[in-house]
Amino acid sequence: MKKDELLEIIMSCNRCGVCQEVCPTYIVSGVETNVARGRNRLIRLGLEEQQFNLDNEPELEKIVNECLLCKACEVNCPSGVPTPEIISNIRAHYTTTKGLPWAKKIMYRGIFSDNRKISLIRNLARIYQKSGINKLVKLAGLFNKTDEMLPDLPKENVRAKLPVLLKNFERPKHKVAYFLGCSVNNFFSSIGIATIKVLQENDCQVIVPDVNCCGAPHQSAGDQDEFIRLAKNNIKKLNELDVEAIIVDCSTCGSIIKEYEKLFANDKEYQDIIAKITAKIQDISSYLLSIDFKREMGQINQKVTYHDPCHGIRFLKVKDAPREILKSIPGINLIEMKEADMCCGGAGSYGIFNPKLSRDILARKMENYKESEAGILATSCPACTMQLSFGLKLHKLNGQIKHPVELLAEAYELKKI
Amino acid sequence: MLNQRLTNQLAQIVGKDNILTSKISLASYAYDASPYQGRPGVVVFPISTEMVVEVVKFANKHNLPIMPRGAGSCLSGGAIAPEGSIVISFSRMNRIIDINPENRIAVVEPGITNKQVQLAAEPYGLMFAPDPASQNISTIGGNIAENAGGIRGVKYGSTKDHILGLEVVLPSGEIIVTGDINSPLEPEIDLTYFFCGSEGTLGIVTKAWLALTPINPKVKTMTAIFNSLENAGSCVAEIIAKGVVPTTMEIMDNTVIKAVEDYLKLGFPRDAAALLLIEVDGFPSDVETQVVSILNAFTNNKALSYKIAGNEKEREDLWKARRSVNGALGKLKPANIVHDIVVPRDRLAIMLEKVAQMAKKYGIIIGQVAHAGDGNLHPTLYYDHRIPEEVEKVEEACDEIIKETIVQGGTISGEHGIGIEKLKYMPLAFTKQSLEYMQKVKDAFDPENICNPGKLLPQIAED
Repeated sequence: MKKDELLEIIMSCNRCGVCQEVCPTYIVSGVETNVARGRNRLIRLGLEEQQFNLDNEPELEKIVNECLLCKACEVNCPSGVPTPEIISNIRAHYTTTKGLPWAKKIMYRGIFSDNRKISLIRNLARIYQKSGINKLVKLAGLFNKTDEMLPDLPKENVRAKLPVLLKNFERPKHKVAYFLGCSVNNFFSSIGIATIKVLQENDCQVIVPDVNCCGAPHQSAGDQDEFIRLAKNNIKKLNELDVEAIIVDCSTCGSIIKEYEKLFANDKEYQDIIAKITAKIQDISSYLLSIDFKREMGQINQKVTYHDPCHGIRFLKVKDAPREILKSIPGINLIEMKEADMCCGGAGSYGIFNPKLSRDILARKMENYKESEAGILATSCPACTMQLSFGLKLHKLNGQIKHPVELLAEAYELKKI
Repeated sequence: MLNQRLTNQLAQIVGKDNILTSKISLASYAYDASPYQGRPGVVVFPISTEMVVEVVKFANKHNLPIMPRGAGSCLSGGAIAPEGSIVISFSRMNRIIDINPENRIAVVEPGITNKQVQLAAEPYGLMFAPDPASQNISTIGGNIAENAGGIRGVKYGSTKDHILGLEVVLPSGEIIVTGDINSPLEPEIDLTYFFCGSEGTLGIVTKAWLALTPINPKVKTMTAIFNSLENAGSCVAEIIAKGVVPTTMEIMDNTVIKAVEDYLKLGFPRDAAALLLIEVDGFPSDVETQVVSILNAFTNNKALSYKIAGNEKEREDLWKARRSVNGALGKLKPANIVHDIVVPRDRLAIMLEKVAQMAKKYGIIIGQVAHAGDGNLHPTLYYDHRIPEEVEKVEEACDEIIKETIVQGGTISGEHGIGIEKLKYMPLAFTKQSLEYMQKVKDAFDPENICNPGKLLPQIAED
C-alpha cells in the first residue's frame, strides 16, 4: 500500500482508546505503546516524518513487531480501523527495505517454504527430543525454555501416512479436499489423522492435494514476495480440484487462504479463481454441521472448555460450530471459560521473538482455564495448541489440549469397540 | 527541567520497569481523545500510594509539573501532558480492593475501569451509577477528575453524587482522606466535592470509596420519531413535567438519523427530524405507569410513530442506533470535535434548531445527539483537519455554539470537562468573582501550580 493511502486509513483512528479493553498486549502491560491506538499514532508520526522517521527507529520497529495481529481491536473499533492490515503493511515495508532478520529468514524462507525441509527439520528435532540431547542442552542452560515450546513430535508426519489413511469410496456422499497445513502435518499429526477419519466416517471421499505452506509466517513477518509465490502455487493446486468443499482444520491456514484475494487486487484473472476457491473453504466443524454429521458415537466423560483462535473467531468468523461439535459428543460437559476469545499469545512464532509479552498473555489464559475447572482445553488451531500445551507445562497444570475433531474421532472410535 | 540525572533518580523511586523515557514511548503519551498534543518529559507507573507520594515530593522539590493519567480518553484535553511534565499513569494501580454489598460500597484504586467496577458489582444486584459512553475503558480516577456523567445521568446524577470518600495525594506530598465513608450524610465541609471535576489540578486521587446503587428489576425501552425538533423537545418537557424520571432520554437529529440509517438500515425514515430513545426502570408496577405517561406524551406531541422493545433482543436493536452514532458519522470525515453544552430543558428544542441552522450557515456537518433529560447536548462537528478553510469554519461554528448556549441560559460543559478546549470560554460562563474564587481554591491545594497546569482555569493559562 502507498504511504498516502496508509496515512488516510490511519487517520480514521480518532484516538478514542476503545482498543484498550481488548488488546491483549495492553491488557497485560498497561502501556500505550502496546495498544492499537498507540501503534497507529507512532506509525503515523513515523510516516509523516515530523518527530521521527519510520526507518531509523529500532524501538518503533520493535513496537510494530509486538502486535499479535489478533484483530481484537479492529472488531471492537467504532471506526473500524484495520490495525492488523496497517501493521502488516509496515512490516512488509521493513522487510523490503531491510530484509528479514536472519532468524526469521532461516525459519520462514529456509524451512516453512519447502515441505521437504519442514519434514527434515522435524526429524532432526525429534532426534533432539528422543535422544536426550534436549536434557543436556537444558542442563547447559541454553535455549531458555524456548525448546519446551515444541510439542512432542510424532514419529511420522501425516503425509507419509496418507496411503494407509485414505479410503476409496465407491459412491461417496460428498467429495472434499483437505488442505493439510504444515503444522498439523508435521507437529500435530493426530489432528490431521482425526480430520481425515471423521470426514471418511461421514461418507466423504477425501483428496489431499500436494499444497505448500499457506504463507502465514511469511505474511506475518512482512515477507511479501515469498507470500505471493506460495499463494500462487497453492491457488494453482486448489483450482485443479473437482470437490464440493476445501476443508481446513487449522484456522490460520483457512484465514490466510481467504486473504489471498487482497494479494491480487489488480489481477482480474486471479481474482475470479480465488473467489471460487475461497467460496469452498470451510473449517472442519462448520462443514460437519452443514452435512448433518453422524451422531452415533461413544461417550467421553469430560469437562471441556473451548479457546477461540483469533483466526477462527475474528478471521473465519467461526464461533458456534466447534462448540456445537463438542456438545454433540455424549458425556462432554462444555463450560465457557472467561475471555475465551482473547489471543493466547501464540500467534505463530510470536512467542519466540517476544517471550515476555507472549508469556504474560499465556499466564492470563492459563489462569482462566484453571478457573473453568475443565480437564480438556479444546481449540482449532495448531499454533494455539502449541502455545497452550506449553502453558500447561509452564504452569504445571493438568489437562490436555485437543482439537474438537480429535474428540469427535475418539467418540466415533469408542462406538465401534 | 527534567534531565538525565533527575530521570535516573525518578527511576530509582518507581523501579526501572515502571518508567518510560524514550522519545518514541513518550510520543504515545502526548495525546488523549481530544485533538490536542502535549509534550511529556517522562511517564511513571506507580504501584502504590507511597510511590505516588514519593513521585509528587520529587516533582515538588524540582518544581516539575505532574499530570495523572487514566485511560487517556478525555475529550477536552484534560490528559494532554504539560511541557516536560511527569505523567503519572495509573494503569498499574487498578485493583478492586473491596466490595461490601451490605453497605453498598466499593473500594477501588483509580486505574480500574468503570466497566470492571460494574462487572464486579453486578453479581450483588448493584451498579456504579455513572456510565459515561467511554465506560469500557475510562477509569474511575478519570471519571472523578472529569465528574463524568453518562446516559443514566438524568436519573442518577454524575460521579460526584456517588463518591463517599477519597484518598488524595496533595501536591505537597501529604495524604488526605476526604468524606465520611460510613455515612452518606455528610455534615462537615466535604472536600470530596472539590476533587470531583477538578481535572487533576488539585491533587491526585489514589483510592476511592464508591457508593453502589441497586439495579432496578424492570426496564422498558422505547423510541419515537418526530417530524420537528420542536415537537420532540416539547415531548421531553412534558415527560419530565409529569414526574417521570427516565434512566435514559436521548434525542438524535436528522443528520444523525440519516447517517445511522445509511450505515445500519434499521428502517428509520431518512427525513425524520428527530428521534427519541427513552428507557425507564423501577419495580414492574412503577414502570408500567411511567410507560403510559410517556406514550401519552408521544401522542400529545404528534409523534409519527413509536416502538416499544418487547424483549432483550428488541431492546438491543433500539440501542444499536444510539451506539453506532460515532461509527456512522466518523466515516464521513477524518476529524471531529464534540461539544458538551448544557441548556435548561425548555430550551433544548430551540438550541438543537439553532445548531442545525449553524451547520447550514457554515456548510459543515454537525451531528446532534443529546441527553435530553438533563439538557446536555453533544453537537459533533465533522471536518478534514488538512483543509485550513474547514478548520476555520469549524472554529467559528464552535464559538457561535458556545455563545448561543450562554444566551439560552446554559453552560459550557456537562461532563467532558473544560481541559484545554474550553479554557477560552470560561470567562463567558462564569463571572470574574467566581473564577477568582476557583483560583483561590486551586492556590490553597496547589500553591506552586505543579498539578496539571494549563487546564481548567483560564488565569493559570495566561501566567
